[in-house]
Amino acid sequence: MKEPFHPKIVSFLCKWCTYSGADLAGTSRMQYPPSILPIRVMCSSRVNPVFVIKSYLSGSDGVLIGGCHPGDCHYQSGNYHTRRRIAILKKVFDSIGLETERVRLSWISASEGSKFARISEEFTGKIESMGENPTKKKVFL
Amino acid sequence: MKTTTAKSLRVSKKEGVRKPILAFLKSLLTDAVFDAILIPMQVPAGDSYAWVLVKDPSLLDQANPLAPIMPVQGAKALKSLTRKGEGNLKIAAVMRPCEVRASVELAKLNQIHLESITLMSVDCPGVLPVADYFENPGESEKRFNAMLSENRWGNGSMKSVCQICEQFSILPSSDFHFGLMTGSESSVVLISSSPKGQRVLKDRSLDGSVSLSDWENGIESIRQERKKERTKRFREVQSMVEGFDGLLKTFARCIGCHNCQSACPICYCRHCYFGSEASKLDSDFILKKAEQRGGLSFPLDRRMFHVGRMSHMSLSCVACGLCSDACPVSIPVADVFSFVADQTQRTFDYKAGEKREEPLPIRQYRLEEIKGVEEWVKDAEGVES
Ligand code: SF4
Ligand code: SF4
Ligand code: FES
Repeated sequence: MKEPFHPKIVSFLCKWCTYSGADLAGTSRMQYPPSILPIRVMCSSRVNPVFVIKSYLSGSDGVLIGGCHPGDCHYQSGNYHTRRRIAILKKVFDSIGLETERVRLSWISASEGSKFARISEEFTGKIESMGENPTKKKVFL
Repeated sequence: MKTTTAKSLRVSKKEGVRKPILAFLKSLLTDAVFDAILIPMQVPAGDSYAWVLVKDPSLLDQANPLAPIMPVQGAKALKSLTRKGEGNLKIAAVMRPCEVRASVELAKLNQIHLESITLMSVDCPGVLPVADYFENPGESEKRFNAMLSENRWGNGSMKSVCQICEQFSILPSSDFHFGLMTGSESSVVLISSSPKGQRVLKDRSLDGSVSLSDWENGIESIRQERKKERTKRFREVQSMVEGFDGLLKTFARCIGCHNCQSACPICYCRHCYFGSEASKLDSDFILKKAEQRGGLSFPLDRRMFHVGRMSHMSLSCVACGLCSDACPVSIPVADVFSFVADQTQRTFDYKAGEKREEPLPIRQYRLEEIKGVEEWVKDAEGVES
């Protein structure tokens, strides 16, 4: 029998907001799928697009980038830059026909534990419906 | 404010356009309008070209503002020249339009200093792929010159990116321009479009009664043809790279030498992630990867390198084609990169190097972003802004 598909979603979460939001979801005992593999970053703008590409080409089924809401970045404008970078990355993916839907940028604040749980749920569902990352079994990278 | 003045140089059919341009440049050196001129010159062996910073006017006889190949991108030469900031010398750089654009991009990144430089562009018929040229330099020179004198522009033997280039003529970002596409074929138009450019035309005794319309019409008709061809070629490239398998196939021969990156005038990071300590993996980890996949090919991370480079520099790619020229295994790197660049630059309504006053999109943002981007991110985000 084929094993059921449990997606892995490498998640770059800003320490000041989304990461704390994830913490809050945890301490409030909210349920969210184990697919999320959090990596704490000091700001969403710390996420070099290469991190996302590397995650994708290393077989991560989805990549989540979580930052503070526009206007709330601890470093004033980090997340606005993140927005542009991710837009560029998605356009690169789009032009060469890679699946842009596997990359997701979300604004989740430290108080939004439930939003974190909801987005994790939703994104996991989306990735489940898309299936495994097609690069996962490739020998030639 | 941009002030444009136009004059013209007489060209005899027999001599061609090079001689009068060089004579004009020579007069600029002898009259101390410039202290030095940066220009391509044939190497002594006669089989390639190098950038030379010319001080002695007589050396200009060997220069060639329309070299048939571009072994080194002009912006790279200008970068080495002004790396430590602006100098005191007034220098003119005679370049192809894509070299001017790359220089302007690097200036925005503070890697080139343009304060004392006057950028002079020439109408560009394209350049030959270096590999083709090297097969028989003598023959190639003849072939190229024939194309030039017969006005056969956009010829199929030029590099593929040149065949679909729409920015082969005057640019808002250059100070001075040599227009060659004159219907009459008997003159070169000289156009100054900045205060620095004005300095060049001041006190020159030249024919001032030029009408630019012949030249402009010539340029425009080529541009229209290119536009069509460009759409078609981009569609072909897109279907070639489509999907992960397309990407694998397109770069299947890649040996991971990173020559494409070293030749690229744009790749601006002082320390590149690819090749850095951070990019190296320990053997246990590699073994684990191989186990998951059944095997793993070396050199590692070749696709990551290419997609990473696209995500880093495509907003500034000027489609010069140097990366394709540099690839030892003949991958059409520039066809892919210029296509991706067209897409990413469109997102921000940006054309690399075209306007000096337009800031680099990655260095700026708006609170409410331009539609396309905003919606995208919203889409991806699903829920709210
Ligand atoms: S990626 Fe290639 S075509 Fe684009 S600027 Fe660099 S060398 Fe030129
Ligand atoms: S120059 Fe060619 S072989 Fe070398 S890294 Fe670039 S694409 Fe690969
Ligand atoms: S500090 Fe959270 S996105 Fe910048």
